[in-house]
Amino acid sequence: MSRLVLGVVTGVILVLPLLAPAYHVLLMLPFMAYAVIVLGLNLLFGYTGLVSFGHALFIGIGAYTGAVLTTHLGVRSLELMLLASAALGALIAAPVAALCVRYVKIYFGMLTLAFGMVFYTFLLKFYRLTGGDEGMQVLRPTLLGQDLGGIPKTDYLVGPYYYYSLAVLVLAGLVMWRIVHSPFGLCLRTIRDNPTKAEALGISIVRYRWSAFVISAVYAAVGGALLGPPTGNVDPTLAYWTHSGNIVFMTLLGGFANFFGPVLGAFVFIFLQDTVMAVVPYWRLIFGAILALVVIFAPTGLMGLVARRRPAEVARA
Amino acid sequence: MKSSRREFLKAVGAAAVGGGAVGFPAVARAQARKGVPSEPVKVGVLAIRAGIAAAVGTAGLRGTEWWAERVNKAGGILGRPVQLIVEEESNPKDTVERYRRLILQEKVEVVLGGISTGVTLALGPVAEDMGAPWLSWDGTTQKGVEETMPNPKWAFKSVDNEFEAIVAAVLTAKYFKGIKTVAGINNDYSYGHDCWETYQHVLRRYTPDVKFVLELFPKLGVTDFTSHIASIQQAKPDLLMSSFWSGDTTIIMKQAAAVGLFKTMKAVFTTGGGVHDSLKKEFTPEGLLLGYNSMYFDDPKGSALLKQFVREYKAKHNEYPPYECDHAYFCAESFKAAAEKAYASAGQWPTKAQVVKALEGIEVESLSGRRSWRGDHIQMCNFFQGVTTHKNPYDFVTINPVEVMSTKVAMKPAGGKLLDWINATFPLKG
Repeated sequence: MSRLVLGVVTGVILVLPLLAPAYHVLLMLPFMAYAVIVLGLNLLFGYTGLVSFGHALFIGIGAYTGAVLTTHLGVRSLELMLLASAALGALIAAPVAALCVRYVKIYFGMLTLAFGMVFYTFLLKFYRLTGGDEGMQVLRPTLLGQDLGGIPKTDYLVGPYYYYSLAVLVLAGLVMWRIVHSPFGLCLRTIRDNPTKAEALGISIVRYRWSAFVISAVYAAVGGALLGPPTGNVDPTLAYWTHSGNIVFMTLLGGFANFFGPVLGAFVFIFLQDTVMAVVPYWRLIFGAILALVVIFAPTGLMGLVARRRPAEVARA
Repeated sequence: MKSSRREFLKAVGAAAVGGGAVGFPAVARAQARKGVPSEPVKVGVLAIRAGIAAAVGTAGLRGTEWWAERVNKAGGILGRPVQLIVEEESNPKDTVERYRRLILQEKVEVVLGGISTGVTLALGPVAEDMGAPWLSWDGTTQKGVEETMPNPKWAFKSVDNEFEAIVAAVLTAKYFKGIKTVAGINNDYSYGHDCWETYQHVLRRYTPDVKFVLELFPKLGVTDFTSHIASIQQAKPDLLMSSFWSGDTTIIMKQAAAVGLFKTMKAVFTTGGGVHDSLKKEFTPEGLLLGYNSMYFDDPKGSALLKQFVREYKAKHNEYPPYECDHAYFCAESFKAAAEKAYASAGQWPTKAQVVKALEGIEVESLSGRRSWRGDHIQMCNFFQGVTTHKNPYDFVTINPVEVMSTKVAMKPAGGKLLDWINATFPLKG
């Protein structure tokens, strides 16, 4: 993606709260949270070649960390929520990754799915600890030490919270850009394309895959923490396998071969779902058909379609 | 009436997918009252449309559609036709987004609906934040059995989740005297656990020496109860209690009939009436205690309104209506009554705040009889339970006698703690 397009998109996102209806600005909040999540997921999926069907586990970790901090521990700082989510996401990802990255393809996918469902079941069954199916409340967090409890929730979300989420997304994007363009990122791609050759070159495949998994889990946890405050409640469906499927869908939709593809996928997914849901009661059928069409006719996603038309420009992105 | 592109798309989409987006029902030409705008009054509806509770959500939506058609045929609300804008209730995150869409994008006057307490717990605070009335069909803002929003301004909630377990325990003591041992099979989520706990507490007040010998919590949506039934047979209880409310009631009834389970024990299905017309006589025995929640379609003392609704529902959908229709009808009808009441004093179409004020304590004629909103915004109504019988013209069981219990006598009062209230209301017997 050219810098010009990126600049225009960033500019539009910056002025959106001033121009767009409040509802569309509110829809940007889950978009930005999912954008962080899929940036991380794509490190594993697009750059390392490992498809996780259990990353909702880490979204759940982030969301519930925020809920526990605000409702039970009296911690209302969003900065602390994000840090704690990231730390807990990494802590839990470390042993999960150690077990999962020893496998590839369907075995890796199934293992991640299994761990995700273990956590989902934990959330559902340990009622007194997690609230079970009723979930847990997330109180309005403070932003950079500012207690914004006095302004209406919608104003809070479309104003300060919106720009805070945007800042987190930009920061997450910059860090991920550095990661994938670093020697570490190059090693991941080598492992994805030819693990045998990578090993022969002295690259520790398991260690690199483990690192990519943990980083992606941290991103998912941070995104999960951002998802909680707009809803004001977190529940076990955030950790359910279909939620893992949704983020894989977003990544496929946008295109995992491009850095910005998953972010575009998240955007299209959120706004397409919103539109289709409002028009057709059986919107899941439409989404299923779209997924099938993407896989059959555009396996490189929406960004892949752009790349076919503008190969030189996209290649530079 | 001019249709917008969105409404046109809705109609096309609904036709294409065979689904239920709602267009405009027939509207009698009526003059809007003085001070009342002539454009339609938009009513938002949140209904479950997928998964295990889709049938319940569909019933609520049908009840609302029937109400809207009826109101529009009579000239609308203060002369304004009603337009339903339907969105899906799914998980808390997505439902909160649909709720915000209804308020911010569609500019609805009120939102009706909400069944899952997991969802409505999230919706309650959002309704308060957004300053628009939300009338829940069947969802509460209870955490377990205790209220989390004792003094809401905009949120109106359903009957306490555990109410029908209380009614069932009282009726168990009345109809099944001499019960010594009880087993429970309830869904593994908060409603199932809360109903079972509450049922035990109340039943102990009547029969202190009763023993609860087995508790099973299958996942919601399970379709094979073979192992559960084997466990129940082994425990040999005098009575089985269940708060199943969906298709699992039908399934366990069939599988229990296959092994003759209810030949050796009594049974109480507190909420099985949710799928009442699937409980066929061939596998559902007489003599069980069966709950129909807030509406019994075949109530011999039912009003002309109920009889008309049942007749038209059967003609249109080839089914007999379950209770969710009544929750939905009541919410919609109480909104209409509140708008009219507020108009009487304001002399113009009321603001949302005026509607909310008028809703408090309002009583209206619903399908099941008179229903009202308590001061703390909880639904007040009657619940129907009774003993199953085959003596009816249907191919499924009905109940006779029909026991009617009001929330005024068997639901904890505003601000009350459940166990304290049970202990004070049901003195120990024996």
